[in-house]
Amino acid sequence: MIEEKDIINVDEPELTAGERLYLPQIAGGMRTTLRHMFKKKITVQYPEQKRELRTENYRGVHRLNRDEQGRVACVACFMCQTACPAHCIHIVGAESPWEDREKYPVQFDIDELRCIYCGMCEEACPVDAIELTPEYDLVGRTREEMIFDKEKLLMVFDRTKETKPRKNPKITGYSGTGCADEHTVTERGEAH
Amino acid sequence: MAKITIDNQEIECRDGIPVLQAALEAGWDVPHYCYHPGLSVVASCRLCLMEMQLPHPKTREMGWAPKLFPSCQTPVKDGMVVRFDSGAVEQNQKACMEYFLLNHPLDCPVCDQAGECHLQDYSYKFGESESRMHDQKQVNPKKDIGPQTLLYSDRCVMCTRCVRFAEEVSGTEELCIVNRGGRAEIDIFPGIPLDNPMQGNVVDVCPVGALLDKDFLFKKRVWFLESGDSVCPGCSTGCAIRVDQSDNRVQRLKPRYNPGVNEWWMCDEGRFGWKYVHDVERVTRPRLRRGAEMETPAWESLGEIVRYRFEQQVDRHGAAKVAVLLSPMMACEEAWLLAKFVRELAPDATIATGFVPMVGEERCFPVGCNADDAKFVIRREKCPNGRGVELVAEHFGGSTCDFDGFVTKAGEGAFEAVWVVGGYSEEWVPKALATSLAKIEMLVVQDMFESALTGEAELVLPACAWVERDGSFVNHAGLIQPFERAINVPDGARRDGQYLFGLAGFEGLYSGARVRALMAEEMDAFREIAEAPRQPAHQH
Repeated sequence: MIEEKDIINVDEPELTAGERLYLPQIAGGMRTTLRHMFKKKITVQYPEQKRELRTENYRGVHRLNRDEQGRVACVACFMCQTACPAHCIHIVGAESPWEDREKYPVQFDIDELRCIYCGMCEEACPVDAIELTPEYDLVGRTREEMIFDKEKLLMVFDRTKETKPRKNPKITGYSGTGCADEHTVTERGEAH
Repeated sequence: MAKITIDNQEIECRDGIPVLQAALEAGWDVPHYCYHPGLSVVASCRLCLMEMQLPHPKTREMGWAPKLFPSCQTPVKDGMVVRFDSGAVEQNQKACMEYFLLNHPLDCPVCDQAGECHLQDYSYKFGESESRMHDQKQVNPKKDIGPQTLLYSDRCVMCTRCVRFAEEVSGTEELCIVNRGGRAEIDIFPGIPLDNPMQGNVVDVCPVGALLDKDFLFKKRVWFLESGDSVCPGCSTGCAIRVDQSDNRVQRLKPRYNPGVNEWWMCDEGRFGWKYVHDVERVTRPRLRRGAEMETPAWESLGEIVRYRFEQQVDRHGAAKVAVLLSPMMACEEAWLLAKFVRELAPDATIATGFVPMVGEERCFPVGCNADDAKFVIRREKCPNGRGVELVAEHFGGSTCDFDGFVTKAGEGAFEAVWVVGGYSEEWVPKALATSLAKIEMLVVQDMFESALTGEAELVLPACAWVERDGSFVNHAGLIQPFERAINVPDGARRDGQYLFGLAGFEGLYSGARVRALMAEEMDAFREIAEAPRQPAHQH
């Protein structure tokens, strides 16, 4: 509730004689324009030319990371789906075929058209399996094509792992339910 | 009633119950693992310890005793003064939590219990964010203890609720504790799996993610589930249940606390018996015979068509040739609406109560006890509302009969226009009935699956599963229990109640409560329930 005492009225400042004449302002504007004409240009001829991007934190197309053995790193915990404000992630989890992990995603779909590229999924992921990549030139002919499934997302990883290598965090695996390997305990101080 | 003081607040509670129970009922959120109101008290988790005032041994003056007492094991006494908000109590809770979390894996992201886990809640409330333990965590194995249940023993907090359940409620005693102290584990005896008709409850009583249901394993995170309060249609016990659904699909059923009926429990037959709801073979569209062709009429025009065709039959053969078979799978409200519709068209119409499936014997738990001492009974009558449709038929009076009578009469050619309601999950039509009803002029079949009758019918109407409807069931003891709708009807179908509501001459949307209010005007049995529906409290 906004109270009367919290409201501050700000009056428009009075224009000086020079400002009321407008001419000095126009000259000032022209000076800025002229200065930029002789500066180094920052526009590029896209798509022939492409700009350098900050690869670490650019929020482009998603990828699903692979672990050292080339398996999908996701443990199907649904944290990204829970965090997603656009409800564009759909996961079907199942018991994993591997000894060191409890769950894995049999299906992992991201609707890239619905996504707002906020990066919350990346924030929420406890195993850093989902990441946003510097890839931004996302095109497709149909809506179906723009729903990226697990294979497509893994392909994005294969494409971008050179430019943005996976950090391979110390907390990995969720090996069994036990998590007894030494990786799990240290690093982030989470230990129960 | 006893009066006790908790944290300087005086409350009234029932005599003889533990202080913990009194505090929980009065709204205190006292942490506890081992205590369960339906099981014996062991006071082993030590989380619910409280401070209590006792007389000083010398001066007899009342003062806070220096040690803590387990509130689950201390019965209430008039004038008792206890507290949970003291430093000593909180310190104990913190210390206990540290012990519980010593070996507990940090696998909440992949644990199915996450979101409804007491360990998670209490850890958030009382636990430290960092462990002080330098040693490696002890990892207990994951065990497959039965056809429906998995035991992740490294998540276990040794509250022994499951062991006590198997001893005291199911009476089958499959579970036990092996090893001692910090190495203690829950286990089964070699070669004897946890396989009894009540075993699903051990998953419910488990306060952590140690016991998990294979049926629900990895299916959904629990925070995506939405629930509807329902009643199990599996037998005439009428267990209060919660239907957990997401994306319009039933994910699991859980029991609700329902004193005097199912208490905290439900049987596996009911728990896993909902799969037919999502069967693709279900009848989802109305089907009307026009000449030799079957066509799908619009729901809007259906009322008129049905009324017209029935009127034709009454004109041709007389009202006594009309009959309706009310299925015990119907809700009371639906049965009442249908009976009302038929009796209005044909005042001499026969109202028959439907086929009551009887399977085996009544099964009482703990196993080996007699029916009077049973804590839980699975009844042989495998339908939820036998009593309810009988009540409705009695209310309308006139020509009524039971299912056998109906089959006999139909065989004698007593009817020309019949409305048959099924709604069973399994094949139910006796051959004799199918052949005799195939000959009549007007047959309306309202059923969930195709049967010998639907092929012969003039009009086939989809019957919806109970999770898609709302209404009330009357259990074996005559208790009327309302249930809510949990999911939407399949595409193309309409709730039974909705089209029957229209047929019976009412306008607008059907709701169980609305029809109950109408029924209460005529039927005494429904007066009380229409005014104050019995809603059992949620209690874990």
